[in-house]
Amino acid sequence: MKTILKTLLISLAIAASANAANHLVDQKGKTFIPHALTVAVGDTITFKNSDPFAHNAYTDDEANEFDIGMQAAGAENKVTVKAAGTFSVECAIHPNMLLEVTAK
Amino acid sequence: MLIKLGLSALLLSTAMYATEDMKKWLRPAEVPQPANNKLTPERIELGKLLYFDTRLSSSGKISCATCHHPKQGWTDLIPTSKAVGHEGAVGPRNSPVVLNTAYQNRQFWDGRVRTLEQQALGPIEADVEMNMPLDVLIPKLNKIKGYQKLFAKAYPESKGVITNDYLAKAIASFERTVVSTIAPFDKYAMGEKGALSKSAKKGFELFKGKAHCIDCHDGFNFSDGSFHNIGLNDGDLGGKELGRYLVKRRAAWYGVFKTPTLRDITKSAPYMHDGSVKTLTEATHVCGNGGRYEHNVKNKSTFMVDRKLTKSDISKITSFLKSLEGPDMKLKIPTKFPQ
Repeated sequence: MKTILKTLLISLAIAASANAANHLVDQKGKTFIPHALTVAVGDTITFKNSDPFAHNAYTDDEANEFDIGMQAAGAENKVTVKAAGTFSVECAIHPNMLLEVTAK
Repeated sequence: MLIKLGLSALLLSTAMYATEDMKKWLRPAEVPQPANNKLTPERIELGKLLYFDTRLSSSGKISCATCHHPKQGWTDLIPTSKAVGHEGAVGPRNSPVVLNTAYQNRQFWDGRVRTLEQQALGPIEADVEMNMPLDVLIPKLNKIKGYQKLFAKAYPESKGVITNDYLAKAIASFERTVVSTIAPFDKYAMGEKGALSKSAKKGFELFKGKAHCIDCHDGFNFSDGSFHNIGLNDGDLGGKELGRYLVKRRAAWYGVFKTPTLRDITKSAPYMHDGSVKTLTEATHVCGNGGRYEHNVKNKSTFMVDRKLTKSDISKITSFLKSLEGPDMKLKIPTKFPQ
Protein backbone atom coordinates (compact mmCIF):
# COMPACT_ATOMS: atom_id res chain seq x y z
CA MET A 1 0.00 0.00 0.00
CA LYS A 2 2.84 2.28 0.97
CA THR A 3 4.63 1.60 -2.29
CA ILE A 4 1.47 2.25 -4.33
CA LEU A 5 0.95 5.61 -2.57
CA LYS A 6 4.59 6.58 -3.09
CA THR A 7 4.39 5.71 -6.79
CA LEU A 8 1.16 7.69 -7.12
CA LEU A 9 2.69 10.74 -5.49
CA ILE A 10 5.78 10.58 -7.68
CA SER A 11 3.57 10.22 -10.76
CA LEU A 12 1.52 13.22 -9.72
CA ALA A 13 4.68 15.27 -9.15
CA ILE A 14 6.04 14.32 -12.56
CA ALA A 15 2.71 15.18 -14.18
CA ALA A 16 2.57 18.56 -12.43
CA SER A 17 6.14 19.26 -13.40
CA ALA A 18 5.41 18.31 -16.99
CA ASN A 19 2.48 20.77 -17.04
CA ALA A 20 4.46 23.60 -15.50
CA ALA A 21 5.45 26.25 -18.00
CA ASN A 22 8.64 28.24 -18.18
CA HIS A 23 8.43 31.98 -18.83
CA LEU A 24 11.39 33.86 -20.22
CA VAL A 25 12.04 37.37 -18.95
CA ASP A 26 14.82 39.21 -20.71
CA GLN A 27 16.81 41.98 -19.05
CA LYS A 28 17.72 44.25 -21.89
CA GLY A 29 18.31 48.00 -22.07
CA LYS A 30 17.80 48.18 -18.28
CA THR A 31 14.24 46.92 -18.76
CA PHE A 32 12.43 43.70 -17.97
CA ILE A 33 10.90 42.34 -21.16
CA PRO A 34 8.01 41.76 -20.75
CA HIS A 35 7.03 44.21 -17.99
CA ALA A 36 4.14 42.04 -16.82
CA LEU A 37 3.62 38.31 -16.63
CA THR A 38 0.72 36.02 -15.74
CA VAL A 39 1.82 32.59 -14.54
CA ALA A 40 0.48 29.54 -12.74
CA VAL A 41 1.74 28.38 -9.37
CA GLY A 42 4.51 25.87 -10.06
CA ASP A 43 5.63 27.60 -13.25
CA THR A 44 9.20 28.75 -13.58
CA ILE A 45 10.57 32.11 -14.68
CA THR A 46 13.92 32.27 -16.39
CA PHE A 47 15.69 35.60 -16.06
CA LYS A 48 18.12 36.16 -18.88
CA ASN A 49 20.62 39.02 -18.89
CA SER A 50 21.07 40.32 -22.42
CA ASP A 51 22.78 43.54 -21.30
CA PRO A 52 26.56 43.80 -21.35
CA PHE A 53 26.65 44.42 -17.60
CA ALA A 54 25.41 42.86 -14.37
CA HIS A 55 21.76 42.72 -13.34
CA ASN A 56 19.71 41.16 -10.56
CA ALA A 57 16.12 40.13 -9.95
CA TYR A 58 14.45 39.87 -6.57
CA THR A 59 11.12 40.07 -4.85
CA ASP A 60 10.36 40.70 -1.21
CA ASP A 61 6.92 39.13 -1.59
CA GLU A 62 6.69 36.86 1.46
CA ALA A 63 5.16 33.88 -0.32
CA ASN A 64 7.41 34.01 -3.36
CA GLU A 65 10.60 35.57 -2.02
CA PHE A 66 13.70 35.08 -4.18
CA ASP A 67 16.92 36.86 -5.05
CA ILE A 68 19.04 35.60 -7.93
CA GLY A 69 22.08 37.58 -6.75
CA MET A 70 24.48 39.36 -9.07
CA GLN A 71 23.75 38.09 -12.54
CA ALA A 72 26.61 38.46 -15.01
CA ALA A 73 26.09 39.50 -18.62
CA GLY A 74 24.74 36.60 -20.65
CA ALA A 75 23.75 34.52 -17.62
CA GLU A 76 20.36 32.86 -16.99
CA ASN A 77 18.71 32.05 -13.65
CA LYS A 78 15.50 30.15 -13.05
CA VAL A 79 13.07 30.59 -10.16
CA THR A 80 9.85 28.72 -9.33
CA VAL A 81 6.60 30.51 -8.51
CA LYS A 82 5.45 29.10 -5.19
CA ALA A 83 2.19 30.83 -4.35
CA ALA A 84 -0.76 32.64 -5.91
CA GLY A 85 -0.90 36.42 -5.79
CA THR A 86 0.49 39.53 -7.41
CA PHE A 87 4.02 40.63 -6.71
CA SER A 88 6.70 42.97 -8.05
CA VAL A 89 10.16 41.97 -9.15
CA GLU A 90 12.94 44.56 -9.26
CA CYS A 91 16.58 44.68 -10.21
CA ALA A 92 18.56 45.50 -7.05
CA ILE A 93 21.05 47.50 -9.11
CA HIS A 94 18.59 49.30 -11.37
CA PRO A 95 15.40 49.91 -9.36
CA ASN A 96 13.75 51.63 -12.30
CA MET A 97 13.38 48.11 -13.73
CA LEU A 98 10.06 46.65 -12.67
CA LEU A 99 8.24 43.41 -13.48
CA GLU A 100 4.70 42.74 -12.24
CA VAL A 101 3.89 39.04 -11.83
CA THR A 102 0.38 37.69 -11.37
CA ALA A 103 0.38 34.08 -10.18
CA LYS A 104 -2.90 32.12 -10.36
CA MET B 1 1.71 76.06 -13.41
CA LEU B 2 4.42 75.21 -15.90
CA ILE B 3 5.86 78.70 -15.50
CA LYS B 4 5.66 78.36 -11.72
CA LEU B 5 7.75 75.25 -11.96
CA GLY B 6 10.45 77.18 -13.75
CA LEU B 7 10.00 75.36 -17.01
CA SER B 8 11.27 77.62 -19.70
CA ALA B 9 9.15 78.32 -22.72
CA LEU B 10 12.36 77.84 -24.67
CA LEU B 11 12.55 74.22 -23.58
CA LEU B 12 8.95 73.54 -24.44
CA SER B 13 8.99 75.27 -27.78
CA THR B 14 12.29 73.99 -29.04
CA ALA B 15 12.24 70.41 -27.79
CA MET B 16 10.71 69.56 -31.14
CA TYR B 17 13.91 70.66 -32.84
CA ALA B 18 16.05 68.15 -30.97
CA THR B 19 17.00 65.17 -33.06
CA GLU B 20 15.59 61.84 -31.96
CA ASP B 21 18.83 60.67 -30.36
CA MET B 22 19.15 63.91 -28.38
CA LYS B 23 15.60 64.04 -27.02
CA LYS B 24 16.39 61.73 -24.14
CA TRP B 25 18.72 64.36 -22.71
CA LEU B 26 15.98 67.00 -22.40
CA ARG B 27 14.00 67.39 -19.20
CA PRO B 28 10.40 66.17 -19.49
CA ALA B 29 7.96 69.07 -19.72
CA GLU B 30 6.09 67.98 -16.60
CA VAL B 31 7.26 67.01 -13.16
CA PRO B 32 5.88 63.69 -11.87
CA GLN B 33 3.28 64.27 -9.18
CA PRO B 34 1.49 61.72 -6.98
CA ALA B 35 -2.30 61.60 -7.42
CA ASN B 36 -2.84 62.43 -3.74
CA ASN B 37 -0.56 65.46 -3.73
CA LYS B 38 -0.90 67.35 -6.98
CA LEU B 39 1.02 70.59 -7.17
CA THR B 40 -0.84 73.81 -6.47
CA PRO B 41 0.57 77.30 -5.86
CA GLU B 42 -0.70 77.16 -2.24
CA ARG B 43 1.06 73.86 -1.53
CA ILE B 44 4.31 75.01 -3.13
CA GLU B 45 4.35 78.29 -1.22
CA LEU B 46 3.54 76.58 2.09
CA GLY B 47 6.23 73.97 1.47
CA LYS B 48 8.74 76.71 0.75
CA LEU B 49 8.03 78.44 4.05
CA LEU B 50 8.43 75.16 5.94
CA TYR B 51 11.63 74.33 4.04
CA PHE B 52 13.30 77.55 5.21
CA ASP B 53 11.76 77.73 8.70
CA THR B 54 14.32 77.02 11.45
CA ARG B 55 11.53 76.45 13.97
CA LEU B 56 11.28 72.94 12.54
CA SER B 57 14.51 72.03 14.39
CA SER B 58 14.94 71.48 18.12
CA SER B 59 17.70 74.13 18.32
CA GLY B 60 15.62 76.65 16.37
CA LYS B 61 18.68 77.28 14.20
CA ILE B 62 18.44 74.66 11.45
CA SER B 63 16.09 74.33 8.52
CA CYS B 64 16.03 71.97 5.53
CA ALA B 65 17.87 74.73 3.68
CA THR B 66 20.80 74.66 6.11
CA CYS B 67 22.12 71.49 4.48
CA HIS B 68 20.31 71.85 1.14
CA HIS B 69 20.59 75.53 0.27
CA PRO B 70 19.68 76.93 -3.14
CA LYS B 71 22.70 79.24 -3.07
CA GLN B 72 24.97 76.27 -2.40
CA GLY B 73 23.85 73.96 -5.18
CA TRP B 74 21.02 72.62 -2.98
CA THR B 75 23.62 71.07 -0.67
CA ASP B 76 26.00 72.53 1.94
CA LEU B 77 29.35 72.42 0.13
CA ILE B 78 31.16 70.44 2.83
CA PRO B 79 32.11 66.73 2.88
CA THR B 80 29.61 65.73 5.56
CA SER B 81 27.38 67.87 7.70
CA LYS B 82 30.04 68.62 10.35
CA ALA B 83 29.11 71.62 12.49
CA VAL B 84 25.94 72.06 10.48
CA GLY B 85 23.77 69.35 12.00
CA HIS B 86 22.17 69.67 15.41
CA GLU B 87 24.66 71.20 17.89
CA GLY B 88 27.49 70.55 15.48
CA ALA B 89 26.66 66.88 15.09
CA VAL B 90 28.47 65.18 12.22
CA GLY B 91 26.35 63.58 9.55
CA PRO B 92 27.78 60.39 8.09
CA ARG B 93 27.18 61.29 4.46
CA ASN B 94 27.55 64.12 2.00
CA SER B 95 24.37 66.16 1.90
CA PRO B 96 22.55 65.05 -1.27
CA VAL B 97 21.32 67.74 -3.66
CA VAL B 98 17.58 68.37 -3.78
CA LEU B 99 17.72 69.29 -7.48
CA ASN B 100 15.56 67.05 -9.69
CA THR B 101 14.70 64.66 -6.86
CA ALA B 102 11.14 64.80 -8.19
CA TYR B 103 12.30 62.54 -11.00
CA GLN B 104 13.93 59.92 -8.74
CA ASN B 105 12.07 56.84 -7.62
CA ARG B 106 14.40 56.30 -4.66
CA GLN B 107 15.38 59.01 -2.17
CA PHE B 108 18.49 59.40 0.04
CA TRP B 109 21.94 58.05 -0.89
CA ASP B 110 20.81 54.55 0.11
CA GLY B 111 17.39 54.78 -1.52
CA ARG B 112 15.59 53.74 1.65
CA VAL B 113 12.36 55.47 0.67
CA ARG B 114 10.65 56.01 -2.65
CA THR B 115 8.84 59.33 -2.54
CA LEU B 116 9.59 62.89 -1.50
CA GLU B 117 6.68 62.65 0.93
CA GLN B 118 8.38 59.68 2.62
CA GLN B 119 11.72 61.50 2.58
CA ALA B 120 10.61 64.89 3.88
CA LEU B 121 10.26 64.05 7.57
CA GLY B 122 13.41 61.94 7.96
CA PRO B 123 15.94 64.77 8.34
CA ILE B 124 13.61 66.66 10.70
CA GLU B 125 13.70 63.77 13.18
CA ALA B 126 17.33 62.64 12.62
CA ASP B 127 19.45 63.40 15.68
CA VAL B 128 22.42 64.50 13.55
CA GLU B 129 20.23 66.83 11.55
CA MET B 130 17.25 68.79 12.86
CA ASN B 131 16.72 66.53 15.87
CA MET B 132 13.05 67.43 16.22
CA PRO B 133 10.65 64.62 17.28
CA LEU B 134 7.44 64.88 15.29
CA ASP B 135 5.35 64.47 18.42
CA VAL B 136 6.90 67.75 19.58
CA LEU B 137 6.88 69.52 16.23
CA ILE B 138 3.29 68.87 15.20
CA PRO B 139 1.71 70.38 18.35
CA LYS B 140 4.15 73.31 18.01
CA LEU B 141 3.07 73.96 14.41
CA ASN B 142 -0.59 73.62 15.34
CA LYS B 143 -0.16 76.55 17.72
CA ILE B 144 0.99 78.83 14.89
CA LYS B 145 -2.20 80.38 13.51
CA GLY B 146 -0.49 81.53 10.32
CA TYR B 147 0.44 77.96 9.47
CA GLN B 148 -3.05 76.68 10.35
CA LYS B 149 -4.51 79.08 7.78
CA LEU B 150 -1.99 78.15 5.11
CA PHE B 151 -2.55 74.40 5.62
CA ALA B 152 -6.29 74.96 5.41
CA LYS B 153 -5.83 76.72 2.05
CA ALA B 154 -3.34 74.21 0.67
CA TYR B 155 -5.16 71.13 1.94
CA PRO B 156 -8.80 72.13 2.59
CA GLU B 157 -9.63 68.65 3.87
CA SER B 158 -7.14 69.23 6.72
CA LYS B 159 -9.37 72.03 8.05
CA GLY B 160 -6.14 73.61 9.23
CA VAL B 161 -5.21 70.72 11.51
CA ILE B 162 -1.57 69.96 10.78
CA THR B 163 -0.49 66.31 10.80
CA ASN B 164 2.69 64.43 9.84
CA ASP B 165 1.07 63.58 6.53
CA TYR B 166 0.19 67.16 5.56
CA LEU B 167 3.59 68.44 6.71
CA ALA B 168 5.35 65.88 4.52
CA LYS B 169 3.11 66.64 1.56
CA ALA B 170 3.72 70.38 1.77
CA ILE B 171 7.51 70.09 1.97
CA ALA B 172 7.51 67.53 -0.84
CA SER B 173 5.46 69.91 -3.00
CA PHE B 174 8.13 72.58 -2.75
CA GLU B 175 10.97 70.11 -3.32
CA ARG B 176 9.18 68.90 -6.44
CA THR B 177 9.59 72.36 -7.96
CA VAL B 178 13.38 72.34 -7.53
CA VAL B 179 14.29 71.42 -11.08
CA SER B 180 17.24 72.13 -13.32
CA THR B 181 17.16 75.08 -15.69
CA ILE B 182 18.38 75.26 -19.25
CA ALA B 183 22.13 74.68 -19.42
CA PRO B 184 24.40 75.18 -22.44
CA PHE B 185 24.18 71.43 -23.02
CA ASP B 186 20.39 71.65 -23.34
CA LYS B 187 20.75 74.33 -26.00
CA TYR B 188 23.19 72.06 -27.79
CA ALA B 189 20.75 69.14 -27.49
CA MET B 190 18.05 71.37 -28.99
CA GLY B 191 20.18 72.05 -32.03
CA GLU B 192 22.28 75.09 -31.12
CA LYS B 193 25.60 73.65 -32.19
CA GLY B 194 27.61 76.62 -30.96
CA ALA B 195 26.35 76.22 -27.41
CA LEU B 196 29.18 73.83 -26.54
CA SER B 197 32.91 74.36 -26.89
CA LYS B 198 34.92 72.00 -29.05
CA SER B 199 36.39 70.48 -25.89
CA ALA B 200 32.95 69.94 -24.33
CA LYS B 201 31.65 68.28 -27.51
CA LYS B 202 34.57 65.86 -27.45
CA GLY B 203 33.92 65.36 -23.75
CA PHE B 204 30.32 64.38 -24.51
CA GLU B 205 31.53 61.77 -26.99
CA LEU B 206 33.97 60.40 -24.40
CA PHE B 207 31.17 60.46 -21.80
CA LYS B 208 29.05 58.23 -24.04
CA GLY B 209 31.94 56.15 -25.38
CA LYS B 210 35.39 55.39 -24.01
CA ALA B 211 34.68 56.58 -20.47
CA HIS B 212 31.35 54.70 -20.18
CA CYS B 213 29.93 57.42 -17.87
CA ILE B 214 26.60 56.88 -19.62
CA ASP B 215 26.38 53.35 -18.18
CA CYS B 216 25.07 54.97 -14.97
CA HIS B 217 24.71 58.69 -15.70
CA ASP B 218 22.07 58.27 -18.37
CA GLY B 219 19.00 60.29 -19.37
CA PHE B 220 18.11 63.96 -18.91
CA ASN B 221 19.00 63.87 -15.20
CA PHE B 222 22.32 62.16 -15.94
CA SER B 223 21.42 59.36 -13.54
CA ASP B 224 19.59 56.13 -14.26
CA GLY B 225 18.78 55.80 -10.55
CA SER B 226 21.04 52.78 -10.21
CA PHE B 227 23.05 51.71 -7.14
CA HIS B 228 26.75 50.88 -7.23
CA ASN B 229 29.75 50.28 -5.03
CA ILE B 230 32.31 52.53 -6.67
CA GLY B 231 35.21 51.45 -4.47
CA LEU B 232 35.88 54.41 -2.21
CA ASN B 233 36.61 53.56 1.41
CA ASP B 234 33.73 51.27 2.26
CA GLY B 235 33.33 47.69 3.26
CA ASP B 236 36.52 45.68 3.10
CA LEU B 237 38.72 48.74 3.30
CA GLY B 238 37.64 49.36 6.87
CA GLY B 239 34.97 51.96 6.29
CA LYS B 240 31.73 51.69 8.19
CA GLU B 241 29.54 52.86 5.36
CA LEU B 242 27.75 49.88 3.90
CA GLY B 243 25.21 51.98 2.01
CA ARG B 244 22.03 50.27 0.86
CA TYR B 245 23.17 47.06 2.61
CA LEU B 246 22.08 48.72 5.85
CA VAL B 247 18.54 49.03 4.48
CA LYS B 248 18.42 45.29 3.86
CA ARG B 249 21.29 42.81 3.91
CA ARG B 250 20.97 41.89 0.27
CA ALA B 251 24.30 40.77 -1.25
CA ALA B 252 23.95 43.05 -4.27
CA TRP B 253 23.61 46.06 -1.94
CA TYR B 254 26.93 45.72 -0.12
CA GLY B 255 28.50 49.19 -0.07
CA VAL B 256 26.28 50.54 -2.86
CA PHE B 257 24.97 54.10 -3.15
CA LYS B 258 22.65 55.83 -5.59
CA THR B 259 24.03 57.32 -8.79
CA PRO B 260 23.71 61.09 -8.31
CA THR B 261 22.52 63.56 -10.92
CA LEU B 262 25.20 65.47 -12.81
CA ARG B 263 22.94 68.47 -13.45
CA ASP B 264 24.52 71.62 -11.95
CA ILE B 265 27.33 69.39 -10.71
CA THR B 266 29.70 72.38 -10.73
CA LYS B 267 27.68 73.91 -7.88
CA SER B 268 27.78 71.05 -5.40
CA ALA B 269 31.38 70.03 -4.61
CA PRO B 270 32.69 68.06 -2.79
CA TYR B 271 31.43 64.87 -4.38
CA MET B 272 30.48 61.25 -3.68
CA HIS B 273 28.45 59.90 -0.77
CA ASP B 274 31.32 60.55 1.64
CA GLY B 275 32.26 63.95 0.22
CA SER B 276 35.82 62.75 -0.22
CA VAL B 277 36.32 63.96 -3.77
CA LYS B 278 37.03 67.67 -4.09
CA THR B 279 36.98 68.35 -7.82
CA LEU B 280 35.30 67.21 -11.02
CA THR B 281 38.71 66.24 -12.39
CA GLU B 282 39.27 63.90 -9.45
CA ALA B 283 35.69 62.58 -9.69
CA THR B 284 36.13 61.78 -13.38
CA HIS B 285 39.42 60.04 -12.65
CA VAL B 286 37.94 58.01 -9.77
CA CYS B 287 34.91 56.89 -11.76
CA GLY B 288 36.60 56.53 -15.12
CA ASN B 289 39.77 54.80 -14.07
CA GLY B 290 38.45 52.10 -11.78
CA GLY B 291 37.89 53.65 -8.39
CA ARG B 292 40.29 55.17 -5.92
CA TYR B 293 41.88 51.89 -4.92
CA GLU B 294 43.27 48.95 -6.78
CA HIS B 295 42.31 46.73 -3.83
CA ASN B 296 39.79 43.96 -4.17
CA VAL B 297 36.78 45.81 -2.79
CA LYS B 298 33.93 43.46 -2.02
CA ASN B 299 31.00 43.92 -4.41
CA LYS B 300 32.76 46.65 -6.36
CA SER B 301 30.71 47.47 -9.44
CA THR B 302 31.76 45.78 -12.64
CA PHE B 303 31.51 49.22 -14.23
CA MET B 304 34.45 50.36 -12.15
CA VAL B 305 37.26 49.33 -14.46
CA ASP B 306 40.25 51.27 -15.66
CA ARG B 307 39.13 52.99 -18.87
CA LYS B 308 42.66 54.35 -19.38
CA LEU B 309 41.43 57.91 -19.48
CA THR B 310 44.25 60.34 -20.20
CA LYS B 311 44.60 63.78 -18.66
CA SER B 312 43.35 65.19 -21.94
CA ASP B 313 40.29 62.89 -21.88
CA ILE B 314 39.47 63.91 -18.32
CA SER B 315 39.88 67.58 -19.18
CA LYS B 316 37.39 67.23 -22.05
CA ILE B 317 34.88 65.31 -19.95
CA THR B 318 35.17 67.99 -17.28
CA SER B 319 34.47 70.65 -19.91
CA PHE B 320 31.36 68.74 -20.86
CA LEU B 321 30.24 68.40 -17.23
CA LYS B 322 30.58 72.16 -16.83
CA SER B 323 28.13 72.58 -19.70
CA LEU B 324 25.45 70.97 -17.51
CA GLU B 325 25.36 74.05 -15.31
CA GLY B 326 22.27 76.19 -15.83
CA PRO B 327 21.35 79.49 -14.22
CA ASP B 328 19.91 79.31 -10.71
CA MET B 329 16.14 78.82 -10.69
CA LYS B 330 14.15 81.90 -9.82
CA LEU B 331 13.34 81.69 -6.15
CA LYS B 332 12.47 84.26 -3.52
CA ILE B 333 13.87 82.96 -0.27
CA PRO B 334 11.42 83.77 2.54
CA THR B 335 12.60 86.00 5.36
CA LYS B 336 9.27 86.29 7.19
CA PHE B 337 7.44 83.26 8.50
CA PRO B 338 3.87 82.60 9.66
CA GLN B 339 3.12 83.61 13.25
